[in-house]
Amino acid sequence: MADPALEAAILWLKAQPDVRYAEARLVDETGERLRVRDGRPEQVTAEASRGVGIRVLGSKTWGFACTADTSEGALLATARRALEIARASGSVATRAVALPEQAAQRGTYATKLAVDPFTVPLETRLAAIDGPARALRTGDARLKSAEAWMDWTRQHKRLVTTEGTDVSQSLTFGACGMQVFTIGDDGRSQRRSFPTFQGGDGFQGGYERIAGLGLDGATDRVKEEALALLTAPPCPAGNTTVILDSGQMGLQIHESCGHPTELDRALGSEISLAGGSFMQPSMLGKLRYGSPAITLVADATSEGGNGTFGWDDEGVPAGKRALVERGLFVDYLSSRETAAALGRASTGTMRSESWNRPPIIRMVNVSLEPGAGGTLEDLVADTDDGILVSTDKSWSIDDLRLDFQFSCEIAWEIKKGRRVRMVRDPFYRGITPRFWGSCDAVCGPAEWRLWGITTCGKGDPVQMMQVGHGASPARFRGVDVGSSS
Amino acid sequence: MRADALLSLAKEVLASAGEPEVELTVRMTERGCARVAMGELGQHMELVEPQAVVRVAQGARVAETVTSRLDRDALVEAVHKTAAAARLVPEVEGFAGFTGAGEPTGAAPSRFAEATARATPEERVERLAPVLAAVRKAGLVSAGMLETRTQAQATATTRGCARSYDGTFSVFKVWALETPGAGGAAGYGGHAHRDVTALALEAETARAIRVCKESHSPASLEAGNYDVVMEPEAVAELLEWLASIAFGAPEVEQGSSPMAGRLGETITGEGIDLVEDPLSDDPALGFGCPFDREGTWRRRVPLVDKGVARAVLYDRAHAKRAGTASTGSALLPAMGQAGGVGPTALSLGAGTAASAEELVAGIERGLYVCRLHYVNGLVEPRRAVMTGLTRDGCFLVEHGRIGRAVGNLRFTDSFLEGLARCDGMTAARKAIPTWWSDDGAIVAPAIRMRAWRFNGASQERPKL
Repeated sequence: MADPALEAAILWLKAQPDVRYAEARLVDETGERLRVRDGRPEQVTAEASRGVGIRVLGSKTWGFACTADTSEGALLATARRALEIARASGSVATRAVALPEQAAQRGTYATKLAVDPFTVPLETRLAAIDGPARALRTGDARLKSAEAWMDWTRQHKRLVTTEGTDVSQSLTFGACGMQVFTIGDDGRSQRRSFPTFQGGDGFQGGYERIAGLGLDGATDRVKEEALALLTAPPCPAGNTTVILDSGQMGLQIHESCGHPTELDRALGSEISLAGGSFMQPSMLGKLRYGSPAITLVADATSEGGNGTFGWDDEGVPAGKRALVERGLFVDYLSSRETAAALGRASTGTMRSESWNRPPIIRMVNVSLEPGAGGTLEDLVADTDDGILVSTDKSWSIDDLRLDFQFSCEIAWEIKKGRRVRMVRDPFYRGITPRFWGSCDAVCGPAEWRLWGITTCGKGDPVQMMQVGHGASPARFRGVDVGSSS
Repeated sequence: MRADALLSLAKEVLASAGEPEVELTVRMTERGCARVAMGELGQHMELVEPQAVVRVAQGARVAETVTSRLDRDALVEAVHKTAAAARLVPEVEGFAGFTGAGEPTGAAPSRFAEATARATPEERVERLAPVLAAVRKAGLVSAGMLETRTQAQATATTRGCARSYDGTFSVFKVWALETPGAGGAAGYGGHAHRDVTALALEAETARAIRVCKESHSPASLEAGNYDVVMEPEAVAELLEWLASIAFGAPEVEQGSSPMAGRLGETITGEGIDLVEDPLSDDPALGFGCPFDREGTWRRRVPLVDKGVARAVLYDRAHAKRAGTASTGSALLPAMGQAGGVGPTALSLGAGTAASAEELVAGIERGLYVCRLHYVNGLVEPRRAVMTGLTRDGCFLVEHGRIGRAVGNLRFTDSFLEGLARCDGMTAARKAIPTWWSDDGAIVAPAIRMRAWRFNGASQERPKL
């Protein structure tokens, strides 16, 4: 991905006396989005985007500018503009940003894949989702609507910095799933999604991943559950034991661990959209975030993860680090600048949505290490009284990431170690460290699955990002539950 | 780049490509965003967002390309590739063809301000400097953003539709905070206007400081049903979700919308008027492009009239399937999502109260809510049940007066049922930009709703 204009822009910036650091990032992205609904194509969209973003640290603070014109002249003008912005902002800065040096990085990284999805004929890809979507709507008039989707994105990017870093990466993201809506005689509506909630079904890899999802084989179960929910009783309210399946664990980790461990939030850089964090720097190494069963890691090296890469967008190599170790809060998702504020090294999580946004701290693959709880059925068998919940339906958490309430598509009551009946519209709520502190069992490696959220929003203007979460099902004691209906 | 240049480009591409059925929308958004955090101007950026959306039809087979490349050759190539893809896809039931030359247009409201379009990094810094100083002087920490935005958009079709639009938008958001990221008291101020020079920076900053100071040491409050007065920012959060789940034809077709099967029924209180009002010529309330992504001229659509569900919003295909006309509500792809159908200028009608304090005067014991956080409207969409929390100012109301601050609380309630219990709204309304869309804003008054359900007590929050 050679582009000498990038070097020219960086060389010019390096020659400016008040430039302490600068990076130029070329992003060339192609994608395709397919969606079918009720027997017709809703979306057949190809996507292309290409440009360069330049971020400059002047004598005091940052400036960012970008351009879709990748000629040398345009990049030099963009570099000048980014520096002008940094100078303008510096005029009101009360302190200079501290940015530790990063050793120069060189190399390439690419998603491992067996079958390039962009070589698979469009008709084949459409048929792969149209068949399951049609099957979901067949056999009962209460099956009101069904849809399925398949998205692919390939992002080539090259980062060149004034520190000598020059790295190129090619990342291939996919997402695929389906859902059905039912409407009962009383006008109530239910939804069942597969393999998890829409937007939680992402990964990195090739077309070989589609067959592994098993959409065709799941249609009968999905629509049977969607129909059964219409007449299922509401989830009883109370304080009980809750088992979250693997997919719901992904959402739980995302909202109540991933976001509060973002150091920019904790320091106050994300107030204007997302909020702050209850996990403050003074609590590092002291806060009992969860029970000893809980070890959460930030792993940008997990194979096939939505948050996997070679280097982050300020040239820090990907790595794996514990955020919570046996229940104790030990580290943040951080950048070079924010980590330096705590006297620490960056954990390599600066990522940008595209060429026309600056990098900010984003989750990588934030995952729960598997435990010793055996299989999901072992865990159910070991539970005397409680509910098993699956597939997120709504999510809400406060601006410090403490007070959450999540509702799910489906739940089953558990009595004496057995699933006794399906219940509808379940929700559970809690306070983050109390909730994680109540976890007494995490299923083992056989149940561990890496999920991928495709639309995590953060920043202002907001940036969407692919992030990953691996988890096995887990059990939590003394949780408030109820029915949203 | 201005809209007339984009329209010329679009026409040239259509003429050069030689395909008979093409729709091309071209948009260029240029944004200057000066973002404040921890009392410093930490992220200051100039963003360009070029976007072309090409749709090509082969009969009723339709494919689409979205690209950031706005040069002629790239767009011609995009048309050809899209045409090839369209030959391979199944037919779209109800495809109505692209917009033609003879379709209605109207007078476009003026939405362009030179001062916003010309704003430089130095000007943004100059405007923000007193804001930073005022919050600092108050012993608090500032956060927020000043954005100046220019948007040009053009749509052309091979059936002769040709539209163009130039607009500007500026928005100011400011927080005054007791602590930068760890919670504590917070106050918010915000203002949107097409003209950056009309933004009330000083007044909104003073408001943020005042609310933050009044929010110090909040009391705990039990969960329960409370009469509430919500400021426009809080009402807009709920309306955003209603816009997302209720008024688009796809959600109605799918059956998940609370409007599905209920047109003509009373769905909320008789004092409630909800209108999609994209052509408002009020300079303080009207934003966005006067035509949609298909080139259809937008129009005013009463969605809920005196509490009765009256209409939903359509693009051309959904309208044809429903046997009606497009309302000009086809949305451009944004935020990684496909372009859908829905409102961009949802407006809740005004009431008669002279002020929010007048609404408060009618409450014996309740809450005054400045803003909401992380509302989610997917809890039970058919009833518009939503959950979320208060943020940036929540105060106890006793004997008709605003009293001490209370800690943030979680609510879970049906917004439509809440509006059925709405018995007061202010005459003054405010435009609140949505965070996920460049296209418009929600317009809302302050409202009073009886017995709004808070299912989470505020004392739960700080105890770890």
